[in-house]
Amino acid sequence: MDRLPDRADRRQTEAVPVNLAEHADNTGITRADTLSAGAFNIWGNTFPADELPAGGPVVVDGVPFLFPEAAPGRPDNIRCAGQLIEVPTGRYDWIQLLTAAERRTEDQVLLHYADGSVDPEWLRVPDFWPETGSRVGGSPAFTCTRMHYPRHVERKMGPVIWRHRVPVPRESDLGALRLPDNPAVHVFAMTLLPGAPLEVAA
Amino acid sequence: MKALLENVRPWRHDLGGCLHGCLATLLEHRGVPALPVLGAAWTFRHFPGGVRREEYYYPCADGESLLTALAPHHPVRSVWHEPADAATGWEQVRDAVAAGTPVAVAVDNYHLPFRPAYRDVHSNHLVVVHGYDEERGTVRVLDAVPPAFHGDITLAELTASRDSGNELVHERDMFFTGVHIDNRWLSLELDAAPGDFPALDRAEVARVLALNLAHFAAPPDGDACTGLAGQQAFLEGTVKRLTAGEDIRDELFVAAGAALACTAVHADWLALAGRTLDLPGLVEQARSVERVAHHWSAVRIMAALTRDGGLTPRRLAGRVHALLKDHESALTALDDERAEL
Repeated sequence: MDRLPDRADRRQTEAVPVNLAEHADNTGITRADTLSAGAFNIWGNTFPADELPAGGPVVVDGVPFLFPEAAPGRPDNIRCAGQLIEVPTGRYDWIQLLTAAERRTEDQVLLHYADGSVDPEWLRVPDFWPETGSRVGGSPAFTCTRMHYPRHVERKMGPVIWRHRVPVPRESDLGALRLPDNPAVHVFAMTLLPGAPLEVAA
Repeated sequence: MKALLENVRPWRHDLGGCLHGCLATLLEHRGVPALPVLGAAWTFRHFPGGVRREEYYYPCADGESLLTALAPHHPVRSVWHEPADAATGWEQVRDAVAAGTPVAVAVDNYHLPFRPAYRDVHSNHLVVVHGYDEERGTVRVLDAVPPAFHGDITLAELTASRDSGNELVHERDMFFTGVHIDNRWLSLELDAAPGDFPALDRAEVARVLALNLAHFAAPPDGDACTGLAGQQAFLEGTVKRLTAGEDIRDELFVAAGAALACTAVHADWLALAGRTLDLPGLVEQARSVERVAHHWSAVRIMAALTRDGGLTPRRLAGRVHALLKDHESALTALDDERAEL
């Protein structure tokens, strides 16, 4: 147990947060004075900005992420449509995500390795809707107390952004990943976690 | 006069909606466990021109009850009551509750203070009523859809929601607006005593799997899109219509919602049966069916994005192809499980 802090420290030091700003195409976070400036879901609901981190570094469950900056009308998340995300080439064990879906869903991401190989892996995303458990694993990263509607603030319930992860099983350098073409899935942030080196016989 | 019925409990499936929730609550009040009944049937049925703008839409053949359509393998029915006016509508609901029967009533969320849509968005929803106090002018309402509510509202509020014209006023009045609520209410009928419902044993699982597999194997019934072939025809036809520039948004969104709920609740039924009977293969196939439900989650959102050009026919076609392929694989594997029983 006494090694856990070391492991946590190393995780934060070696983790690679990925800046997704250039891929963001959906505005899911709004301020109370700009309620209609976004539409996370098809009904125009959004997350309340004052209950989420300001844009920049944030640590969730020991994992450092780059949380998107929320500004009126500025895209702050990726609504998945098959985007190819290039990542700093390196050996990773996990792709950690801050994510949420419009109804629970799952799909495959395609992991592109530096040696040219491609593997599908599962991405499972819980519902952002309040009072709804995960059912596909993952932990609530941010549970809001209010939901923004385009014309009012709903104070009886709040949506959830989840932390979930995708494995990188192949012991090879990862160079990119392609998100699924599933517009029910939104990604707010992504961080790559290197694995502990193994002693593999040559 | 007042009455308050006990043993009325919320039931919710995260991929279902108010229809499954209300019917489950009414079934369990009658002593019938909900999931073994509501989750048994896995079907696809679409009746061209038959989609209704209701959150509780479920495809029904002419003259078929909503609950029969949802749970065709069990001796259950539902009856829509269509009172002439609001006063008669309340009298009927009050009399049913006074007689010991909770009921489901159609409502417009716009008039319900516990709904987020209150005084904002019109939407055709379903809630359970199981009590009233005429002296206080209140009714006891249960709504399991988040934000879940189980408490009293005024009779005036309930009446406004039941008697609403459910007007389509602005662009956010989507999918479930534009049809009068008309004070309709739904009662549940059991055609067998609760103790005579089939137990969830191997014979029951074999029976249900055989019925579902036969449904999907059968050719479409007339103009209706039924079974696996009908599902393929409907979905591929929708892609063609979108390609031709037709507005398919509302029809596909509502139809996909019903298919999503049916598939997801059936996945839970398979998992329950597999765990109850120690059949790990069935639990694994429950996950395969859940995968199909997750496709429907995507189809539903894709449908909603079609109108403004935000989703191309090619993208929808890709999803449809994957759904059909995984659905067919799940059926093949379930047939193998059935053969092992």
